[in-house]
Order: sequence, then C-alpha cells, then structure tokens
Amino acid sequence: MQNIIFGLITGSILATATVGFSMIRQTEGFINIAHGQFLTLGAFLGFFFVSTAGLNVFLGGLIAAALVGVAGVVVSRIVFRPIADSGPLAQLFTSIGLAFLLFGLIRVAFGASVKFFPTSFGTRFDIGSVNVTVGEILIVAVAGVSVAALALFLTKTRLGTWIRATASNPSLAEVRGVPVERVSVAVWFVASAFAGLAGVMIGLISNVNSEMGFQQILIILAAAVLGGLGSIYGVLAAGLLLGLAMDLSALIIPTAYRSVVAFGVLILVLLVRPQGLFSTATRKEAG
Amino acid sequence: MIGVFFFFVGVLTLAGIYAILAMILNLEAGWAGMWDLGIAGLLAVGGYTFIIVTQTQSDDVVFAPGLPMWMGIILGSLAGGVAALIIGVPSLRVRGEYFLITTLAFAEVIRQLAVNLNSITRGTVGFNQFDRPFEALAEGRGYRVLLLVLVWVVAGIVYILMRRLVHAPYGRVLRAFRDNDPVALSLGKHTNRHRIQTFVLAGLLYGAAAPLYLWFLRIATPSIFSSEVTFVAWTALVIGGIASKSGPIVGSIILLLVTESVALLQGSAEFAVVLASTRFIVLGLVLILVMRFRPAGLVTEQQSLAAASNRVQVRSS
Repeated sequence: MQNIIFGLITGSILATATVGFSMIRQTEGFINIAHGQFLTLGAFLGFFFVSTAGLNVFLGGLIAAALVGVAGVVVSRIVFRPIADSGPLAQLFTSIGLAFLLFGLIRVAFGASVKFFPTSFGTRFDIGSVNVTVGEILIVAVAGVSVAALALFLTKTRLGTWIRATASNPSLAEVRGVPVERVSVAVWFVASAFAGLAGVMIGLISNVNSEMGFQQILIILAAAVLGGLGSIYGVLAAGLLLGLAMDLSALIIPTAYRSVVAFGVLILVLLVRPQGLFSTATRKEAG
Repeated sequence: MIGVFFFFVGVLTLAGIYAILAMILNLEAGWAGMWDLGIAGLLAVGGYTFIIVTQTQSDDVVFAPGLPMWMGIILGSLAGGVAALIIGVPSLRVRGEYFLITTLAFAEVIRQLAVNLNSITRGTVGFNQFDRPFEALAEGRGYRVLLLVLVWVVAGIVYILMRRLVHAPYGRVLRAFRDNDPVALSLGKHTNRHRIQTFVLAGLLYGAAAPLYLWFLRIATPSIFSSEVTFVAWTALVIGGIASKSGPIVGSIILLLVTESVALLQGSAEFAVVLASTRFIVLGLVLILVMRFRPAGLVTEQQSLAAASNRVQVRSS
C-alpha cells in the first residue's frame, strides 16, 4: 500500500512534467529535450524564493513557475522561432543545444551543489496501513488541481480551443483564422510553467540539483511515448501509470533499478504498440 | 609553454576519438538515415567488456580472466555488435523520432546496469588501473603524444573504411533507402536487413573504438558513458556536415578546440565551477548557432556530390 502512495506522488509529478512536453510536441511538432532544464530552472528559482527570499512555499513555487513560463516564451521566440521551418530534427538538435546552454547557465548562476528546501512536510499520520504527510497530500492535490485547471482551460476557453485546433491540424487551424502566434506564445508559457511547477515539486520531495533536468527528461520521454506522443490526456494517465510502475516495482526488484523499469516499460510499449497506449486515431508520423 | 603543448595534445587526442565516433555515427545517421542517440550505450558495452576481460585482479569482482589486450579489443568489439543486434532488431521496427527515443532509453538502461551490477562493473567506483598499449615505448608525458598518434592512425583507418563503404554498392543502397525507402524496396533491396547490418557494423566499430576512449581517460566509470558523449559526437557530426566524408573530422577538431580551450583560462577555486559549466554553454551555443545558420554543416554532401559529378563530366568530355 505504501508503495501505491509513493507511486501516486511520483506519478502526479511526472504527469505535471510531461503534459507541457506533450503540448509542445503536439503544437510545435518537435521533441523538446530542453524541457527537462525548465524543471531544473523551476526547482532552483523555487528554492531561491523560499530559502533566500523567505517566501511561503506556495507563493514561491507559483512565482517560480510563472517565471519559468516567461523564460519558455522568451527562449521560444529567440531560439525556436527562426528555425520553425527547418523540420523536426533541426529543432530537436537545437533543443539539445538549448538544454546544454541552460544546464551551463543554471550551474553558473546557482552552483553545482545539491540543495534542500527548508520546508517541513507537516505532521505524519496513518490512514489504515498507510503513512503519509500533509505535504505529500498537498503535492498530489496541487498537481491534480493544476492539471484539472489545464483541462478546463483547453476545453472551455477560446484560446484553449485554438490550442487544440492547432495541435490536431496546424495548417487547417491557420486557414480557419486561428492566431498561430498567440497560440504558440500561450503553449510555451503553459508548458514551461508546468515544467517549472513540476521542478519545484521534485525539489520539495527529494532535492534540487543541476543534473535533474537530464535525469527527468528521459522519464518524461518515456511517459510521453507511453501516453502517445500526441495525446495530452493519455499523457496524464501514462504519467500516473509509470509513477506507479516505478514505485511498485520496488516490491520485487531493488530500488536502484527504478529508472531501468521506466525505460523497460518504454521499450516494451514501443515494440508492442508504437503509437502509445492511449492514442485513438493513428497519425502519420514524419520520418 | 610545455604545459600548453601537452594540453593541446590532449585536446587533439580527444578530438580524434570523437572524430572516430562521429564517422561511425555518420555511417548510421548520414548514409543509412538511422538517427541513433544510443552511442554512449554501445561504447559502454565495448569499453566495459574490454576492461573486464583484461582485468587480472579479482578481489572485488567475480569475473577477471585477465585475457591479453588484443583479445579484449576483439571481445569488446563483438560485445558492441551483439548489443547493437539486441537493440537494433526491436528498435528498427519504429521510425524517426521513436527510434531516437528507443536508442536513448537503451543507452540509459545500459548505464544504469553498469551502475548497479557492482560485482561485475564495480558500480560507480569503476576501474582506474589498467594497462595501455605500447607503454614500454614512451614514459609519462611522452605517452600522451604516442596516444595522439595511435588515435589518429585509427581515425585514418576508419576514414578509409568509410570512404570505401560509401562508394561501394552497399553504401549506395544505404543512401537509396535513406532517401526513398519504397523505391529501394521495389528494386529488390532488403532495406530492413541492410539497416540491421549497418547498425550491427556500427556496434562492432563503437565496441572496437571504446578502448581508445578508456586509455585516454584512464578510468572506466558509468559517468564517462553518459548521454553527453552521444550529444558531443552528434554536435561534431552536425557541425562538420552530416553525410559528408570529411565533415566528422573537421567538426570534431573545431568543436573540441572550442569547448576544451576554455579550460586554459586559469581561475580561483570558486571560479572553477563557472569554468567547468562554460564548456556546456559553449557546446550548447555552437549547436544552436550551427542549426540556425548552417544546418547542413561546414562540409555538405551536396558539395561532394557536385564534385563527384564534375569529375564524371571532366572524364566524359
């Protein structure tokens, strides 16, 4: 049971991290390896606001996520906009370059040492045989609320509808008068802010270090492929499933193999069902 | 001055190693169109096999047969080929970006195994004592020059091999199914079999080249086989020009000179982290700028194609 709770926490954070990655994959059409570095940036900014500036952890996390969102928009305008027509592989390699650039800049700005949030997780209590803290429940709740808010935004608002239209068919959306520029800005802001939020949550639950971007992007890739590269809702389910699989596997194999399990699942899924577990319509992929 | 000289000997040795990796990658990605992000994994398989089978001391590892070095190289190469077969058969069923992700995932699995299989790989401690070839010929710093020569001799052999391959019917078939799979298929070429063959050949070559990397670094730990190796080789290839014969060499030398020369700047201890991070900033910037302004690289395939057709015209006139 305890492992199911851990799995839920890992899974909800993973879902938060992956949903933005998936949105960019869908609307901009490429795999953004730098997405992991936005997590790192969020974690460090959150740490800075909470420990150095002494802000409340919710406020600090929110500001950090918003700043990462702005950073995502700025980066997309400067780095990705000029090569929008160069094809997904040029964009992929640009994002790898960007990942290294951000990785280096973050290390210069915040140092290479591991940091811990000075935040307490509140009292520990038992529900049945399970032992949880208030903080852990709050993390799952925050992840759930933000993802639900995103779902509402995508389905109920005009901008959200535009984003979904662009995701399913960019050229048709443009012909139908969807303001492509505004959609792109909105997607980059939302996606990066979610990455920043996930980074803060990972920082709270374990620690803040400069390597986490490269570690997390692999698991994000696994979750995104598992959910179907193009599907946003599938990704949420996949994130949760993968989190559960990683933490439940600890019951039968050593925890050191946690991420091997994630990639094992990924490889298996790619072989059995390359279009992902939850994608309904088969889309023709380039390449 | 002497220090600076040996510093550049080191940089050029590393550039030679990356030139070898980038040339093999060029075979896979440039000519066969397989965008492999799992180089580090194949290199790790070759490197670890070499180091394990040549180990003579078995105090904390279960397996240390102490085989001679040349057998280690052969076995490392074979292990790389077998690993490529195991990875390639399932991965090549998927295309494009899925292939990238699968190979990246396999490389990470291999690295995690190297971290966790303590009794075989010594985990994160790894190996730091092993013999290097021709050590009797040169001592201390002199050996660095010898290693430089050795690496570039191997790079030359790989270059000649690649040159022959690309002009052989085999290389033409590779490029044919890269550019137009259905047409190659309709001409009776087994595209999938060719892809697997090429992937395994690349695995054999990565495995054989891995000892050079270990001799240069003088350690074998999981951290030296992180995906950074893969990305540096890719950046070198992309800078030099994908699918061009000399591109990987040009790209590796330029990239390594640019990123490593930062280390020449002297600084205080606090400054050291900043300097170490500058490497990544430079690497990232170079990749972004090349993709933006010269996506085809410095030496392009079109140029060499144009040169080839010029030669044909000169001959026929």
